[in-house]
Amino acid sequence: MPAKLPQHDFNALIHRAGLELSPAEIDELYGAWENIEPMLDRIRGGGTRPREAEPAMIFRPESL
Amino acid sequence: MTLPTIAAASRDLAARKISPVELTQTCLDRIAALDGTLNAFIKVTPERALADARAAEQRQMSGTARGPLDGIPIGHKDIYGTAGIATTAHSKLLQNWVPDTDATTVRLLHEAGTVMLGKLATHEFAFGGPSFDLPWPPARNPWDPEHFTSGSSSGTGAAVAAGLILGGTGSDTGGSIRGPAALCGIAGIKPTYGLCSRAGILPLAFSLDHAGPLAWTVEDCAMLLQAMAGHDPQDPASADRPVPNYTAGLGDGVKGLRVGIVRNWHERDRPVSPATQAGIDRAAEIWRDAGATVADVVLPSLFDFQAANFIILCSEAYGLHEPWMRERFHDYGDRLRSRMVFGGLFAASDYVQAQRFRRELCAATSEAAREFDILLTAGAPGEAPRIDNVPKFDGLQQPGFTAPMNQTGWPAMCVPSGFGEGGLPVAVQICAKPFQEAMLFRAADVLERAMGERAKRPALAC
Repeated sequence: MPAKLPQHDFNALIHRAGLELSPAEIDELYGAWENIEPMLDRIRGGGTRPREAEPAMIFRPESL
Repeated sequence: MTLPTIAAASRDLAARKISPVELTQTCLDRIAALDGTLNAFIKVTPERALADARAAEQRQMSGTARGPLDGIPIGHKDIYGTAGIATTAHSKLLQNWVPDTDATTVRLLHEAGTVMLGKLATHEFAFGGPSFDLPWPPARNPWDPEHFTSGSSSGTGAAVAAGLILGGTGSDTGGSIRGPAALCGIAGIKPTYGLCSRAGILPLAFSLDHAGPLAWTVEDCAMLLQAMAGHDPQDPASADRPVPNYTAGLGDGVKGLRVGIVRNWHERDRPVSPATQAGIDRAAEIWRDAGATVADVVLPSLFDFQAANFIILCSEAYGLHEPWMRERFHDYGDRLRSRMVFGGLFAASDYVQAQRFRRELCAATSEAAREFDILLTAGAPGEAPRIDNVPKFDGLQQPGFTAPMNQTGWPAMCVPSGFGEGGLPVAVQICAKPFQEAMLFRAADVLERAMGERAKRPALAC
């Protein structure tokens, strides 16, 4: 399945990250992005995650 | 000759049947003969090794030996910092970096009397590989050098399997100890998060990184972990708790242990090869015959764990490498930079959501596994692929079996369970609850002895 993110938006992500890549490199990464979008959908949880659900990594002041 | 196990060598050293210098020289001779084919070492340190061996020999002669690892030759993955010896991460970016201090685990193993043979190949910064565009070639599988070792503790896997070292160190952020153990036909354990210090080891992803050993047998892994484990104030995630005796229970069997088979992983999410499936079935049968209870357990999908692991790993790794990724992108190998780059494209909220998702996955795993002591699944989907046929984005298309326990932090190890149609090893993965390494070793030891796979070494190594 092709990526949902349009290529020009993907190019913008590369640019925002400050990376200087060749068009061929960007095309190759964009080709792999289609495998990453389903992962992002999974971790985002479709907006159903309870507001109070904490992340796995939290701050413990007594540990410092 | 093949090398003895650590346990056997330890007994022979104690009985003065062999000397540390003889054993070390045997390893150095084997490295000289075989490493041109295997590329397991980034750097061999013969002078240091022989100095360590002579010191061990003096202790042996004076009755001041430091314990069961005194005089045992090992190697360190080249992300483990070693004072005065280059620590390269197998990367052009660090090829001239020489740390001032040893990693805590390197120091602990040195204090236990081990002999350091050198630094071992890794996937670049423990992430990208196999790569052919780095200053050093990738390690190759001793069972067939045309095949992959898995990674990233690739040099340790190859060197142990080929009998160049008796054991060695690895790190595991998504499976980098267990993968090479599985494909190279050896034992390797990722201990509980926090059990072994990460201080002085080049990080990949802080919340997922684990240090641990690889060796030919379960017992050897237990002996190495005994020296590596323990609280370290230099590592903020280090667990401050007593370290139990990991070898004392070996041989006690598994009677009464409750084993859960995670079929939804290796039969549904990513069906494994027939040989791998047969190994899992055989492991369950061995344990059942030995008095364990065996039942199925359903854990969250491998795809869920894959998503959380990939996004957390890439985000944390990119956070570490960002300046170099921006300024020296092409000094990285193609595979490393093409994987890590995605960490620079995620939103901050994606990282937070992945960590929230991770907590949900951990909670679901704990609940599902509540009635079990040990979990059983595959270590890898099958035999090692050809080293020239590993997809660049391997791990994006299909989930692996090892990342879930990086998310939970639970201990997990791979042990050989037979050979596939291609004649290469296959493996099972065994997992336990946090800080239950002694139980994990006990269960794995039962399998290892019953399966009898430890008698067969790679032809190249004989």
